[in-house]
Amino acid sequence: MRLLRYTIYRLVQSIPVLIGITLITFILANLAPGDPVQLMLHGQEVDEDLVRTVEERYGLDQPLHERYLNYMAGLVQGDFGHSIHRDRPVRDLMLDRIGPTLLLVLSAYVFAIVTSIPLGILAAKRRNEPADHISRIVALFGVSTPSFWIGIMLIVIFSVTLGVLPSSGLVYPWRTPADTSFFGYLAHFYDVLRHLLLPMIALGTLQMATLMRVERTQMINSLQGEYVKLARAYGVPERRVLRKHAFKPAQLPIITIIGLNLSTALGGAVLIEYVFNINGMGRLLIEAIQELDYQLIMGITIVIGFIFVIGVIITDISYAYIDPRVTYGEEE
Amino acid sequence: MTEPLLRVENLKTQFFTETGTVRAVDGISFEVNEGEIVGLVGESGAGKSVASMSLMRLIDSPGEIVGGEITYNGETIFGLEEGPDGELREREDMLSPERMRREIRGNEIAVIFQDPMESLNPVFTVGGQLREFIELNRDLEGAAAKEEAIEMLREVGIPDPEERYEEYPHQFSGGMRQRVLIAMALACEPNLIIADEPTTALDVTVEGQILDLVDDLQEKYGTSFIWVTHDLGVVAEICDRVNVMYLGEIVEQAPVDELFYETSHPYTNALLNSMPRPDRTVDELEPIEGMMPEAINPPSGCRFHPRCPDAKEVCTRVHPDPKVVDTVDGDPHRSACLKRDAFDVGYDESPPIDAEPDVVAAAGSGAGGEDDE
Ligand code: SF4
Repeated sequence: MRLLRYTIYRLVQSIPVLIGITLITFILANLAPGDPVQLMLHGQEVDEDLVRTVEERYGLDQPLHERYLNYMAGLVQGDFGHSIHRDRPVRDLMLDRIGPTLLLVLSAYVFAIVTSIPLGILAAKRRNEPADHISRIVALFGVSTPSFWIGIMLIVIFSVTLGVLPSSGLVYPWRTPADTSFFGYLAHFYDVLRHLLLPMIALGTLQMATLMRVERTQMINSLQGEYVKLARAYGVPERRVLRKHAFKPAQLPIITIIGLNLSTALGGAVLIEYVFNINGMGRLLIEAIQELDYQLIMGITIVIGFIFVIGVIITDISYAYIDPRVTYGEEE
Repeated sequence: MTEPLLRVENLKTQFFTETGTVRAVDGISFEVNEGEIVGLVGESGAGKSVASMSLMRLIDSPGEIVGGEITYNGETIFGLEEGPDGELREREDMLSPERMRREIRGNEIAVIFQDPMESLNPVFTVGGQLREFIELNRDLEGAAAKEEAIEMLREVGIPDPEERYEEYPHQFSGGMRQRVLIAMALACEPNLIIADEPTTALDVTVEGQILDLVDDLQEKYGTSFIWVTHDLGVVAEICDRVNVMYLGEIVEQAPVDELFYETSHPYTNALLNSMPRPDRTVDELEPIEGMMPEAINPPSGCRFHPRCPDAKEVCTRVHPDPKVVDTVDGDPHRSACLKRDAFDVGYDESPPIDAEPDVVAAAGSGAGGEDDE
């Protein structure tokens, strides 16, 4: 009940943010140099009438605020406009590409969370022992190395030198394999993992390193908390002290950081998609920029902005789920 | 004489830090009998909390109990013996860590901590935490444990315990949280409760209510208490016997009335002088500057001599261990001051030391605003 109300509250609260994202994106895209019609013509000479007809067709002859309202009206119905350059609806172009990006970012997060939390706890428990020092070095490496470089190194080691993992493309888990028997699906799943492994690690290492250090600090603090002292004084077994009493309160900052780092992860995905030749939104964005396809750039920017906002909302809700002190802003 | 519930002999707990060994508790001895409230009094840093945590063997690294003996109800909580190569080792009859956890902590000895704001876990319900401790330390499970938890909340004076059971610590006031902590201690039905400055964080009115509550419950359940505090006013209100600690040592030990009316140690006197009069609000004695370095390297002789108004030359040389100076109804009154006749080291003939003991004067006037006699 409390969480449901909080969810609604956060969703309502995010509406102005979403509108802001579209507005800023729209203005920037339209202020940028380059007349779309001229671009389409690739510098060919044509008569004025044709230009005007094209402008009318795409609504380019109207004043800016009206074009924005039209664009918004389309957005609400899921219409992101038309890519002049590719002559396809922007929505269709993005739908083709969003799956791989989400798969990449989510798997990188899963990788980062699954590895960083146990490692962070271990480092906290073995504070200033060799395990802690090793984790510190790994974290330093992870934080200070660009993800694309890690990606290239992984390719050099595992694809080129050892030849054990593929260096390019993804196999999509949502595609039906040719062989639809149980073993067919098993082989398909294996193939998905093999392709995902390197880009996932390349993109997830930074998150892993950050989260691991925060987890360590948080657990060290939490383990020194009075409530941990109290639990021990009442004979709570050490394992439960660690996993329950110290662990849960320590996770709050972790959740916040996961949410905020989503922007870094989405940005990193662009490069990783390029390095690993993955047909995701990131590559689409780079292509669109090269082609000066403003309609497409706008669509992708807005979608990425929305993904980020949704990510932050999910983070906030998980935070409220763990921390009972979060209120909805209007109560008390 | 019957065996006391708890006997502490020559307990030493030290912290091994980079700057040196901190002798936080340096050879204290005291007893707690069944059904009595024993005070452990001193300024912050005197080693009271370390002493009380040592009793449950809850000293975190770099701290360690290095010597002495703790006996609880016939069981050895801590004890050392000499090994074959002259090395000190833990005695065989000393309770294992597992037995300490299962049989002593919570079941037999429970604690109430100083800070009710920090002691409850913010992300679990009050009832859930209480119930967990009950399930661990009593033969109650599930619904029965919950029922007992609610019953205890009612017992410590929390209104609507059924609803409050489901609430989180941040929904409770400081006084109410302290009641929850008291409920936790009582719910485990221990024979001894260590209350570590449980009212320090509360305002005076709430403090009074809590003290009354403890008084009532103590009478009803017959539980023994070790009451750790810096506040002699609280001691006067609830304690039966008192131990005054200074720099890791017990300097005076007496039944409460005797301590107040037949004060024997100059440090106790200084504490008393800093006490507020009934018409004044509670004030703390000024803390000692650089406390921990001093515990690394405490003053020679009597540790109180740099602050003692009665200090003489002999005090800087001879270290007094507490000696019996009087006996009241079979209870000894011990004091660790060379002025007392029990120490025959020539205090009276010893020349005074030159240094002005201005620190104590500052402490006395700063706290209570009283004139020197
Ligand atoms: S022994 Fe000397 S310095 Fe210590 S308390 Fe007694 S008079 Fe003061």
